[in-house]
Order: sequence, then structure tokens, then C-alpha cells
Amino acid sequence: MTIDKGDNGSTGAAGESPPGAGEVTAPPPRSASQIEFRLDPASGVPTYLQLVQQVEHALRLGYLKPGDQLPKVRDAVASLAINPNTVLKAYRELENKGLAAGRPGQGTFIRATLSQVALPELAGLRKSLLVWLDAADAAGLDEDGVVALFTSALRDFYKRRADQAVHGRAASDDNETEGVA
Amino acid sequence: MNMKTIIDTEGLGKRYGNSWALRECTLEIPAGHVAALVGPNGAGKTTLLNLAVGLAEPSAGSVSVLGGHPAGSPAALDGIAFVAQDTPMYKNLSVAEMLHLTRNLNRFFDQHQAKARLADLGIPLKRKAGKLSGGQQAQLALTLALARRPRMLVLDEPVAMLDPIARHDFMATVLTATAEDGVSVLLSSHVLAELERVADYLILMSRGRVQVVGEVDDLLASHRVLTGPAAEADRYTERPVVHVSRAEAQAHLLVRATADDPVPPGWEAHPVGLEELALGYLREPVAVSVPGPARGRHAEPSEVSR
Amino acid sequence: MTALTLPARPEQDAALRPLPWRRMAWVTWRQHRMTLAGVVVVLGGLAVYLWRTGLGIHQAWAFIVTCHPANSSTCGYAAGIFNTRYVPTEVTAGLLLTLTPALLGAFVGAPILAREMETGTFRYAWTQGFGRWRWTLGKLVPLAVVVAAAAGALSVLSWWFFAPFFAENFGTPLAPALFDLRGVVYAAWTLVAVAIGALAGMLIRRVVPAMAATLAAYLGLALLPGLWLRQYYLPAVHTTSNNLPGFAWILNQWYTKGGKFAFAGVQKSGTNAAIEQHWCPNAPPSETLGQCLSHHGYTQWTSYQPVTRFWPFQWIEVGWLVVLSALLIAATVWLVRRRAA
Repeated sequence: MTIDKGDNGSTGAAGESPPGAGEVTAPPPRSASQIEFRLDPASGVPTYLQLVQQVEHALRLGYLKPGDQLPKVRDAVASLAINPNTVLKAYRELENKGLAAGRPGQGTFIRATLSQVALPELAGLRKSLLVWLDAADAAGLDEDGVVALFTSALRDFYKRRADQAVHGRAASDDNETEGVA
Repeated sequence: MNMKTIIDTEGLGKRYGNSWALRECTLEIPAGHVAALVGPNGAGKTTLLNLAVGLAEPSAGSVSVLGGHPAGSPAALDGIAFVAQDTPMYKNLSVAEMLHLTRNLNRFFDQHQAKARLADLGIPLKRKAGKLSGGQQAQLALTLALARRPRMLVLDEPVAMLDPIARHDFMATVLTATAEDGVSVLLSSHVLAELERVADYLILMSRGRVQVVGEVDDLLASHRVLTGPAAEADRYTERPVVHVSRAEAQAHLLVRATADDPVPPGWEAHPVGLEELALGYLREPVAVSVPGPARGRHAEPSEVSR
Repeated sequence: MTALTLPARPEQDAALRPLPWRRMAWVTWRQHRMTLAGVVVVLGGLAVYLWRTGLGIHQAWAFIVTCHPANSSTCGYAAGIFNTRYVPTEVTAGLLLTLTPALLGAFVGAPILAREMETGTFRYAWTQGFGRWRWTLGKLVPLAVVVAAAAGALSVLSWWFFAPFFAENFGTPLAPALFDLRGVVYAAWTLVAVAIGALAGMLIRRVVPAMAATLAAYLGLALLPGLWLRQYYLPAVHTTSNNLPGFAWILNQWYTKGGKFAFAGVQKSGTNAAIEQHWCPNAPPSETLGQCLSHHGYTQWTSYQPVTRFWPFQWIEVGWLVVLSALLIAATVWLVRRRAA
């Protein structure tokens, strides 16, 4: 298959379609994966969790679709200089979440997308969040305080969720954990 | 043969003259891990490594490798590749000749892989080893070691002299070998910062003794930092305290506790990173955290709180 | 939880066959080829020197031998010239040849192990699959043997070089100064020098001090046979005869009277002067002390080693030098096995 490197779409040319439209003419890049991991060492988030979050983020933004292959363990290790077990742990976590599945001998592939929230719902959630932020600001909470409060509540919320799932109990009444600066 | 432990020491000690560089070292380092041997200068790291690769004889105790072979025995030499500090090299041999040399001195040598790796790294075969840059010498030593297809790679402060890029490339090569070939790694370092993403097993040494041993995940899961009023710091007894750092009003306690352990009112709990954990222990030379009953060797993890 | 996969090479069982010795051949050659080149240059240079000066000596000697009438002034003159001109050359050559094994031991033997220890490359070499004591042996033995053989070749040339001096009745072949430069013993001295160097290198672990120690130790050892040991290789021959066989190596001379030891020495000087005065005050100068005293009941004894024992002595010395070399090399290997870091 030749590539018409010359006048591309010039007048009179008998219109060879521009290269690359669905044809593979060059050898595939070394990493067949759609995304590349990066690390933020100062973020305080464990490495494997960073990888999980990056996959989820890529899914949200559309870089990854079901069926896409995640970076091979070897490639991720080679580019980031991290322990291979970390990558394996991240992929296992994604498997647990149902987002990815490993195919023996081939690699790990995306299985599903994140549950999408409908657009009107998103707008509604956003509006109530802004109302809450107004209230927090009026109470004297600064930006970091808002973040701390929200993070703590978020953690507690999902922790309670996980406990409920484990113990199968009805949600306990509003019992926000104290101890937050 | 599926070996579980890559290095097994029992009461291992080494004395130089009248002083003990290493004492009462009892370890069972599992295979398939990247184990980091960490500690300040003079802690005994190089001594332990020398004993493990057979360059030194124990003054007390014993050390066996690769599932029971005595250190320094032919089977041990065959299965372990060692890169010493400052990567000693024959300076007036060319890179190609170093390949030839290593091939002659070993039972197995993957010449093809070595040449491919060197080509990837841009290290010319004809150049004399002494004329290579520090990073290139380290990569050459590593290439020679890995081409032997060892079961275990032992590295003594491999990146201490390297610039950040060389450091990254070196560790990427080591870790890729772990990922591809299942090579177990034992490396020593006195730089903590980058270890957390590289190591999954930690051996912390101080003044010739092992202070902390265990899987990094387990260690991080079993320690927390509690932040609270300095006045109450000494009254905390719920969980073993490793190290206290205090100011006028506030104190941080490094405690041996998990995320499920209750936090006293007025206190905050944070997860702890590897560097903070290591520093906490290093500042308390008497504190130890070695494996518990599962191994049957120590009854309880022991430490002393201040 | 681990990334452990099967290693990419076949599993070895517990009993591993040691790697063949011939693997060390290239290793030893490549690491020491400069040294060996240096040895060739030095010995070659010496050979050229011996050849060129030796040709002159042989020509002069041939002239003297065929010169007749033997007591003419020309022949006497030629003989005199020979002594003044070529004896210093002989001494120089002897000195160079005596020093050569010491230098070979220091420059070849000492660095073998000392350089590895000093530069830290032993941390590479002794953690390879070949094993450290076999690596040591695979270097020491070939190097020592090759260098010794080269020195042995040179000693063939030096045999030819010194030949006129011995024909001239210059001295006995058993004489200490030249005994160990000729025949098979020169190679053995070189062998032991390299062995001393290797052991010094392993003990001292620094190249320059090891070289110095090797020189000192070798020269100390080399003095030993000449000064003391060699005369006892075989029991000396005692005789009262005044006519000793040619080229005999005279060890001692003394006098007895009535079967008991009287005094030592043969010259008419020193303490013997008093005795001569006592017994033979009027003896002519041409008469030796022994001849004079024999009339008074004194018997002159001489102990000597006949020149026919030259080759047995050579082989005896070669024997114990080779045994000593083996012991030194064994000690070196033992040290290598025992300690390193």
C-alpha cells in the first residue's frame, strides 16, 4: 500500500483518500495502549490508586472505551520505574470494580464504562452544591476547610456504604464522625 | 523447584576486629519481591549484602540463598548476580570485551539480550568501559548482571552516584526485568524518597541490627500517625507508639495501629508513607518491627515506647 | 501476589558441574596481555643484549683459544684485553639476569590479585559463576608457568653467553653468583618469584606495596641457597689431596694434627701467619702453607663439591623451588577462599 505523499487533495488529482483513514500503513507503535500512565509523587495518594484513578478518569473523558487494552505491565514499569506488583494491584482493583478484565497471555482490557449520570441530574447536583458552598462560605469556612470537610464526609459516606454491604444492616442514623479540623 | 525464600539468615553476624558490623540478623526474604535494604551509612547494609553474595564469611550464624543453598556456593553464584557499589569494572576492557568476559565466567549468558539492551541504551560496544559515563557504567553492569538470567539481583547502592535521568533509567531496567523474568531484587539504599514506588518489601537496618522487616503494604497498613494535643501525647497507651515528635501545642505519634483501630477523641489519624515510617523507626533505635507469629520465630512484634 | 514467573532458562539441579578451565584462557590472556607483552619486551631486550655482546665475547674467546704460540706477547695481550673488556660485561649481564626474576615476580605476580583488591573489581570477578578459587588458579598457574618458561628460554641463551668464562677456568659452575642463572634452575626461580608476588598481592592488597614486598622477599630468598643451603644438597667430599679436580667448588679448608682439628684456613695470613712463623719461618713464598706444614705433621683437608654434581644440584634446587611455588600458590588460593570483603 503506498502513501500518496504528494499533493493531498489538490485539484485534478484522482482523489486517493488521505492516508490513515482506517488503513494501517505504518507498523503499530510499541505500546498498543491508548493511554499512558503518569505519577504524581507528591500527591500523597498511593501509587496503585493513582493508576486506578487515571484509568477511571480516562474512561470518563473518552480516552478509553470498552475493548481497549490497558498498558502492559512491562511497559508501565519501564516508563514509570515502579514495582510491577503495584501495576498488578491497580489492575486487580479495576477488575474488582468490574471495569477491566484480564485475558491470559494478552493483557488487561477495559470491560465496561463508568456508570454515566444523565446530564440534567448532573446540572441539578451542581446547583445544590453551589448552594451548599454559599452556606459554608457564610459560616466562615475557607477553601481548604471546605475541601477537608468534604473529603472527610466523603470518606465516611463510602466507609458506611462498605460496612453496610458487609454487615447488611440498615443505614444508621445521621452520625457524622467528628474529629475533623 | 519453587523456592519461597530468596535469602534466609539465622542469627547472622559479622565482626571486623572488635566491632560487629552486623548482629543477630534473622530474615526470610520471600522470592518474587523487590526488597529494599534501607538504613543510614554504617548500618550494616553492605555487610549484609556481602554475606549474602558470598564475598564475606559470617562470624556468627548462617545465611543461605535461593531456597537453601549456602551463600557463595556454586549454585548460589550461578543464580545470583551482584552489582557492587560504584559498579567496579575493568576500565581498559571495551564493552564488547566485558560481555565476552562475563560470558566466559558464567554458565548462562544471553548475549543477544545484552547486545540489544546496550543498543537501546546507546552504549557503543567498542568503547572502553572506563570511558563511559557513570550512568552508562551502571547500566553496563546491570546489563551484564541481567544477561546471566539470574534468579536474584543484588544491588549495593546502585543509584547513589547517578543523576536523576540515569537513576530513573536504571530502576526502570531493573523493574522491567522483574516484570518480565520474575527476577527477585534486593537493593540497598540510604535514600528513602523514591523507594516507595519501587519496593514491595522493606528491611530497615540501624547500627548493625535489623529494625523493621516486612511487606511494604503490610507495614503501611499497620501503622498510623496520630496528630493531637502535645499535652496528651504521653498519656496515649491504646496502641504501641514507635516515635513521638512534638511541638508546643501539637504532637505526632507514629503508632502501630490499623485503619480500624479507634482514634481517641480530639485526635486525628493519617495513613503513613514509607519515608515517614522509616524515619520514625530510625529515630528510635530500640524500636523494632519484625514479623509476628506467622513465622513462628518471634512471639510478638516487640518494641519499646519512649 | 507476586510477579514471579518461571525463569527463562532451564532449571539446574543442585549439583552443578564446574565450568571448564579453558574458559579462563581468554580471561587471563585479555586481562594480562599487556603484562605478558612487557615480559616479552624485557626478556627480548635482554636476549638481544646477551646475543650482541655474547657474539663479541665468543669471537674474542675463539681468537684466544686458537692463538699460538700460547705465551707470545700477542696472545698474552689478547687474554689480558679479554679480562679487562669482557669481565665487566659478564658482571653486568649477571646482575641483570639475577634481578630479572625478582622484577618478573613483582611486575607479573603482585598485580594479579593486588589490582583486583585495590580497584574493587574482585567484587565483580568473585561473584560470577566460575567461582573465586578456580578463577585464581586459572590465572596464577598459566601466568607463572608461561613467564617461567620464557625465562627458561632466556637461560638457554645465557648458558651460551657465559660459556667462554667457564672454559677460561674463570670459576666453578657451582659458584653462587652464576649457578642460578644457567641451566634449568633459572626458570624455577622465576616461577617462585611470580608465586611470591601473587601471595604478596593477596596479603597486602595494594599493588605498589605488594611489588616492593615481592622484591624484598625474593631477594631474601635468593640469597639463601647461595650463601648457605646449596652446599648441603649432597654431602661434601672431604679430601687431603692437594690436587683437586678442575672446577671444584671449594667450601672449606682446614688442618688437622693427629686426627684432631687444628685450625682453619689456607692462606699464609691472618692467624695463620703466627703458625707459619712458628713452624716454617724460612719457607719460600712459592710454597703453600699446606706444603710447608705437611712436614710437621699437619694434614690439610679440603671439603668441596665436584663439578660433576652440577646437574644433580640443579635438579635438587628445581625440586624444592617447584614445591615451594606450589605451596605459595596453594596458600594464595586458600587466602582467596577464606577472605575477601
